[in-house]
Amino acid sequence: MPSIETVEREAMEAVAAASSTQELRELEIRFLGKQGVLTGLLRAIGQLPPEEKPRFGQQVNAAKARVQAAIDERERELKRLENAARFERERIDPTMPGRRWRVGRRHVLQATADRIKAVLGGLGFEYLESPELELFRYNFEALNYPPDHPAMDEQDTFYIDDQHLLRTQCTAIQGRVFERRKPPLRVFTIGRTYRNENVDRTHGHTFHQVDCFMVDEGVSMAHLKGTLGQFARSMFGSDVRVRFRPDFFPFVEPGVDYAISCPFCGGSGCAVCKGSGWIELGGAGLVHPNILEAYGIDTDRYSGFAFGLGVERIPMMSHGIDDLRHFLENDLRFLEQFPS
Amino acid sequence: MKFPFAMLRDFVETRLGPAEVGDLLTMAGFELEGIEQVEGDTVLDIKVTPNRGDGLSVFGLSREVLAKDAEARPTELYERACRRFPMPDDGDEGETGAFASVTIETEDCPRYACRMFRNVPQGDSPEWIQRRLRQAGMRPISLLVDLTNYVMLELGQPLHAFDLDTLAGPEIVVRHARPGERLTTLDGTEHELAPGQMMICDAEKPVAVAGVMGGLETEVTPATMNVLLESANFRNTTVRRTRKQLGLSTEASYRFERSVDPDGVVAALNRFAELLEAVDGGASRVFGVIDRYPGRSDRQPVRLTLARTCRLLGLDVTLDQCRSYLSRLGMEVTEAEGGLLVVPPSWRPDIVREDDLIEEVGRVHGYERIPEVLPQGSTPQGGVSGVYARIDLLKDALLRAGCTQVVSHSLVGTSPLDDPSAERIGPKNPVSADAAWLRSSLLPCLADAARRNGAKDLWLFEEGRTFAMGPSGPEERRRVGIYAQGTLLPDHWRKSDPGRADFFAVKGIVEETLSFLGLEAEWSAGSDPRLHPTRQASVLVGGELAGVVGAIHPDVAQDAGLPDDCVLAELDADRIVRTPVEPRRFRAVSRNPAVRRDVAILIGKDVPYAVIERVVAEAAGDVLERQWLFDVFEGQGIPEGKHSLAIALQLRKFGGNFTDEEANQVRDRVVEALARLGATLR
Repeated sequence: MPSIETVEREAMEAVAAASSTQELRELEIRFLGKQGVLTGLLRAIGQLPPEEKPRFGQQVNAAKARVQAAIDERERELKRLENAARFERERIDPTMPGRRWRVGRRHVLQATADRIKAVLGGLGFEYLESPELELFRYNFEALNYPPDHPAMDEQDTFYIDDQHLLRTQCTAIQGRVFERRKPPLRVFTIGRTYRNENVDRTHGHTFHQVDCFMVDEGVSMAHLKGTLGQFARSMFGSDVRVRFRPDFFPFVEPGVDYAISCPFCGGSGCAVCKGSGWIELGGAGLVHPNILEAYGIDTDRYSGFAFGLGVERIPMMSHGIDDLRHFLENDLRFLEQFPS
Repeated sequence: MKFPFAMLRDFVETRLGPAEVGDLLTMAGFELEGIEQVEGDTVLDIKVTPNRGDGLSVFGLSREVLAKDAEARPTELYERACRRFPMPDDGDEGETGAFASVTIETEDCPRYACRMFRNVPQGDSPEWIQRRLRQAGMRPISLLVDLTNYVMLELGQPLHAFDLDTLAGPEIVVRHARPGERLTTLDGTEHELAPGQMMICDAEKPVAVAGVMGGLETEVTPATMNVLLESANFRNTTVRRTRKQLGLSTEASYRFERSVDPDGVVAALNRFAELLEAVDGGASRVFGVIDRYPGRSDRQPVRLTLARTCRLLGLDVTLDQCRSYLSRLGMEVTEAEGGLLVVPPSWRPDIVREDDLIEEVGRVHGYERIPEVLPQGSTPQGGVSGVYARIDLLKDALLRAGCTQVVSHSLVGTSPLDDPSAERIGPKNPVSADAAWLRSSLLPCLADAARRNGAKDLWLFEEGRTFAMGPSGPEERRRVGIYAQGTLLPDHWRKSDPGRADFFAVKGIVEETLSFLGLEAEWSAGSDPRLHPTRQASVLVGGELAGVVGAIHPDVAQDAGLPDDCVLAELDADRIVRTPVEPRRFRAVSRNPAVRRDVAILIGKDVPYAVIERVVAEAAGDVLERQWLFDVFEGQGIPEGKHSLAIALQLRKFGGNFTDEEANQVRDRVVEALARLGATLR
């Protein structure tokens, strides 16, 4: 019978020489398995004098533990080598093109509208829509336009028949809302408007507008300024300030034109704000009391504000788009320049 | 309104320079649109809003400067303008009344006044007047004409000089034109006049279009000796209608349309006389004024309450401030309970109610002093909900399916893809032939987008309104259109099937989109003439027609300049988003494994797959978790008119496993049921 030392040495040499994890599995069985050589030595224990038995057993078990440790160690090393070889074989060039799944892009006007919806929705305004093919009544009459106002000219407005026209402003939604609802209300809409204009870089017969209004007790010009300020800062940056300038629209009194401090130069003057430090965004004011009264809203108790702005203006400003015509031409070389 | 800065300095003493005055006017609501140097002076171009006709004069703008700039002082000229340039003969018609007469026969002329001048000098006006007119963008013509224009620039009151010796009568009648009357205006155009158009007439015929333009026959010429100078007030709507009908537009009509101060009529005649005397040293003889003022009206006082003023402006102003601001604007202000009683001046017809005054207070106080405050109080539901949220979801589904959104014009021309079932409508006054109609369908728009982008792989959608004549008038409807051409996935260096645009690809997008919205589609053969007659389907949602899907008709493709393998779909978005969604009840999920059985059959091609699918479902019963068609074959070995279909059945029980035998029994039931449709096992 070979000595423990001889068997252990043989096992250690074989482990050191093993060149695969598979070979190690076999060595493990050969030396340490139930029928293994080292385990087999224990069977000879019966022939030993009783006083040597414990010591011999301990020696065999210690040898088995050392061999097991060597196998584990060798296995880790081989695994490392095998992985290294495998990873080398499987090497790719990660800079090669990815397989692009085609995810549709929102149109830049849609993306802008969605941002506006999130901001005004967050300020508590409810999104509603009204027809593009609007009644004369809602587009002009209900908005306190005096009869014979120049905006009603065929030169400015597309008429479909005696009553129907293509709305010239999203403000036309106001009468439809006042007719159905009572204050308090906070509503906004985003939609398409039409003016009879010849098309060039900065004019179009079709464009998009936001109209936002609220009616409640005690609504003031300060609330209008606060809401516009919050809206402008959410859209254009946290430093933006709002400026009011008197202006005239039949449906507001007082009426203002509002501008924001230029978010690109901080108000010191640049190409975007044409050196003025301010960018005019649209018209605003307190809802004309004639309109509220026409819909049976008590003007001693309630007042309201309204503001509007052009949707196209926002991406034109933020992306430096210099021609309004791009928006509705759908050239993918244009559309794909902007994140969805 | 353009004017040289020096003219403003005639009325106001201010330390502000032209640019600063421009800014001040901008913040008062009169926007500085341009500022330039012309012939040695700074010329301001000020935009005047249509409600503020009083701003169309240097005097009127001076008033705004004095209201906003507390340090500015009025000049002697300004003071005299406020007193209406008093003359010794005020109130005395003198020889003018003896020689001529004025009759007003229409309510559209609230006031008409005129003054007679004899032995007027001929020739040009002094250089300083000519220069100022040029700076204001007007053309100097002659002394008399230039003075009328200069006074209009100063005071905003249009004047017209008639050659007295050419007037029949001499008599002035303000009336509406009679049928058949004609007038040649001084631009040389002959007009046929119509009733409703307001005219200045002599004893016989019209001699001027009231408030718009004089007649050629009675205009002043270098030979004119005697002049009747008109200063009048005309109703803005009538001037507007008349000048529109005659196709004329002048400095005078522009002002009358926006309102001119009726109380400034005589002042303008007096200022003209004063300037003429200064120029000719008293050589011309000036006679009295005939003044007819049937439209005189008492101005109604408007009450201003301090509480409402502060509440609407959102800031604190004092009663003293209100009084001061309004007085500076020429209003008569007296104290009343809780506020002020204010009589607006004759040049401010825009001020009719309290909120108009509140705007004036805010404007002069300065809007920059209004703080930013967020509204409080009860907030109704904000954000996007209801059908609008479902529209967003619909668009979202199409984006996820890989379609890029386009947004096109609604005003279009004519296309072979127009909705054949729609009676199209369009504006009565289109801008051009390619914008003469409102789109009846989104497909022509998508076709335009496809052509613009050329022969690429294109998967596009558009959501928007379409228009047509409905049973009770013009109507609009929200639709969604899809256009597919080429491969869905871009070519990649690791080859794989990129998916091609065909009927089934687009049908799949529509099915997936509807499913995303919680809706199920039913499909039946379609009959849209724009689509391939045998490769199209109608989509039904909730039992109602909700759209079409199909390959383009090859003839239409050719007419529309599109490839004939493109596929189109158009859905009725209004119907889809308004279709109620069945509430979903939770179903327990089985923990037992599923088994699969495949069935391969030969069956006539005339048996619709929808029927086969239904028969399979009924025959298999509740244990059928899912079925899907995984192969279709026809051709070699398959009889004419038939095809081979391979259908997979996924079976699962709740609370027990399928044995092989049980699964086979289900398959056999399916095969038997299909046999009754004429299918044979393959």
